[in-house]
Amino acid sequence: MPLGTYKEALSARSTEQKILDVSQDGGIVSALLCYALDEGIIEGAVVAGTPDDDWRPIPTVVTSSDEVIAAAGTKYSMSPTLSVLKEATRQYGLEKVGVVATPCQVQGLRKAKAYPFTRFVADKVNLIIGIYCMENFPMASLDTFATAKLGFDSLTEATKMDIGKGKFWLTKDGEDKGLAIKDTHGYEQAGCNVCQDYVAEWADVSTGSVGSPDGWSTVLTRTEDGDSIFKAAVDAGVIETKPMDDVKPGLPLLEKLAKGKKDKNTAERERRAKMGVRIPTIY
Amino acid sequence: MKDRVVISPTTRQEGHAELVMEVDDEGIVTKGMYLSITPVRGLEKMVLNKAPETAPVLCQRICGVCPIPHTLASTEAIDMALGIEIPETAKLLRRATLAAHNINSAAIHHFLVAPDITDDSNFAQAVDSVSEIRKTVQYVVDMIAGEGIHPSDIRVGGMARNITPFTKDRLIERMTALRPKLEAHIEFIKNLVLEAGLPKDLGVVNQPLMAVDPLYGTNDFDMDKFSEVLPEAWYDDPEIGTKACSVIPLWEGTNVETGPRARMEKYQGFKDKGVIAQHVARADEMLKNYDACMEALDAIDPAATVKADYNSNGTGELGFGIIEGPRGTNAHMAKVVDGKTAFYSAIVPTTWNIPTMGPATEGFHHKFGPHVIRAYDPCLSCATHVMVVDDEDKSILKNEMVRI
Repeated sequence: MPLGTYKEALSARSTEQKILDVSQDGGIVSALLCYALDEGIIEGAVVAGTPDDDWRPIPTVVTSSDEVIAAAGTKYSMSPTLSVLKEATRQYGLEKVGVVATPCQVQGLRKAKAYPFTRFVADKVNLIIGIYCMENFPMASLDTFATAKLGFDSLTEATKMDIGKGKFWLTKDGEDKGLAIKDTHGYEQAGCNVCQDYVAEWADVSTGSVGSPDGWSTVLTRTEDGDSIFKAAVDAGVIETKPMDDVKPGLPLLEKLAKGKKDKNTAERERRAKMGVRIPTIY
Repeated sequence: MKDRVVISPTTRQEGHAELVMEVDDEGIVTKGMYLSITPVRGLEKMVLNKAPETAPVLCQRICGVCPIPHTLASTEAIDMALGIEIPETAKLLRRATLAAHNINSAAIHHFLVAPDITDDSNFAQAVDSVSEIRKTVQYVVDMIAGEGIHPSDIRVGGMARNITPFTKDRLIERMTALRPKLEAHIEFIKNLVLEAGLPKDLGVVNQPLMAVDPLYGTNDFDMDKFSEVLPEAWYDDPEIGTKACSVIPLWEGTNVETGPRARMEKYQGFKDKGVIAQHVARADEMLKNYDACMEALDAIDPAATVKADYNSNGTGELGFGIIEGPRGTNAHMAKVVDGKTAFYSAIVPTTWNIPTMGPATEGFHHKFGPHVIRAYDPCLSCATHVMVVDDEDKSILKNEMVRI
């Protein structure tokens, strides 16, 4: 089961142009959050906010559709999103909170919900949207890509950042400069190399681009709540869907990448274990 | 014939204490002595030579029953020791927090005394009413101060964060919904107390009152009027004097009464004395705190800055944080020199009351002794305070009282 437990897999995208204009792929995260906010399913959400010129993601509490859309798009460095969860449930006064998180953050959040250590914090989270994640780069790595690999004076010169067609792209003065993904290896954070979770297996709903055509996202609904919120959003017309069987490259690619991450990182776990290094538990 | 009744530990209170009553042939108390037997807390020593911001974090752990007054007293003592004037909105947030907490703590006390004033027919109702009150006021503390117990967001220089307009509205909405329940609770508890069959003059004392503010606190403390004596010098009985774990604080040379009744008499024109009056004053004060909380919430500007920039070097002068907690006047004092806490001391509410509580049992049958004690809502964990060290060579002069 490389994709974990899920109820349904669909290819989907937002029907809102203003979301598609700013979203990475099908705008599913933004569309779901906006829908849940508008319907009062959540009162706010914690997300990785849009970085300033330095590209450092800012964990942010959003409480309106406008704020969701302002925070749309992939961030290429780690966002300690859960660090603002307490503030969201305290000074923001939110009692029904959405969280957009990477697989590792989802694991932490699920643990926080399962154990009684986070009084009146994790129990207020009622929608966890997980995003597919192979690995993530510390800010120092992004700085290195820009200055040492792509010849920028500083990362702040970049006006756009993207990963696609096998390369990590930075844009400066309208010109795209690409770094082959294989040349970024070794610069990801070390924990990513032992992580087994590509598709946020513990989220309510997981989503990402892989498996669907450009401009669409692949969605896995996992829990009763996640499934019902997603279906309600579809019924309300804010998200359109296609069966995965009808799209290329389809679910096999997602399964291949998810399995690939598990296999590769299992090997790394074994290598580290032999060295006597402590490795995290697999869930 | 003199007989002695000893209750050890006294129950339905925080911490461990002993009530020693000498009684006559009819069982009437002729001499009452109340003493703390909780081991020394030592927190004032732990904060020394550390960054001043450490003090509120550690000193709020003095107790989990009234951590808010300890946090506020400690923070305000450090604020003053660093010469910080905190923003107005931070003051309002602190006021709302304390007022909400004091309602919570009074409600907890009603739970503790419920077995004394209820019977099988209304015990459950009393407990439910307490829970209902606590749920809302603890929510206020949670939202503003981060945690209902050991708040994380009351900081040196103000508050960690302001609340949002959404939160302000929600807090006012919930507190507004609480008012009729609170009024009903107060009436219910007062009636239970009045019908509990307690003697009218039980526990009447005529000690001076210790209260510095109607509801919140101050940064003034006249050290010239304050003195401390060791328990050996206070208690007539040498055995008790050695066993007692708290020093005896005096104001203008005499022991005092502090707490809701003292505040209500000093500032609100409340006249009655004794056990029943203490219960009634504590219940009535809940509404005063409710109004104070609503007033502060209403005045909060969610857009305002709530934390001042400051230099943590310290003024080198003694700073005071004197907070009117649920059980009375909570005095923390600190001195910061070169960015480190150089002196710290806390005189907490029950410490003031300990020498007054024992004699308050006198003149009535010893079976009423525990009622007298519980009327003060003693909290012994906070109160234990003995560490007598020679200033010159740091040798411990009185180590027999330290029982860790």
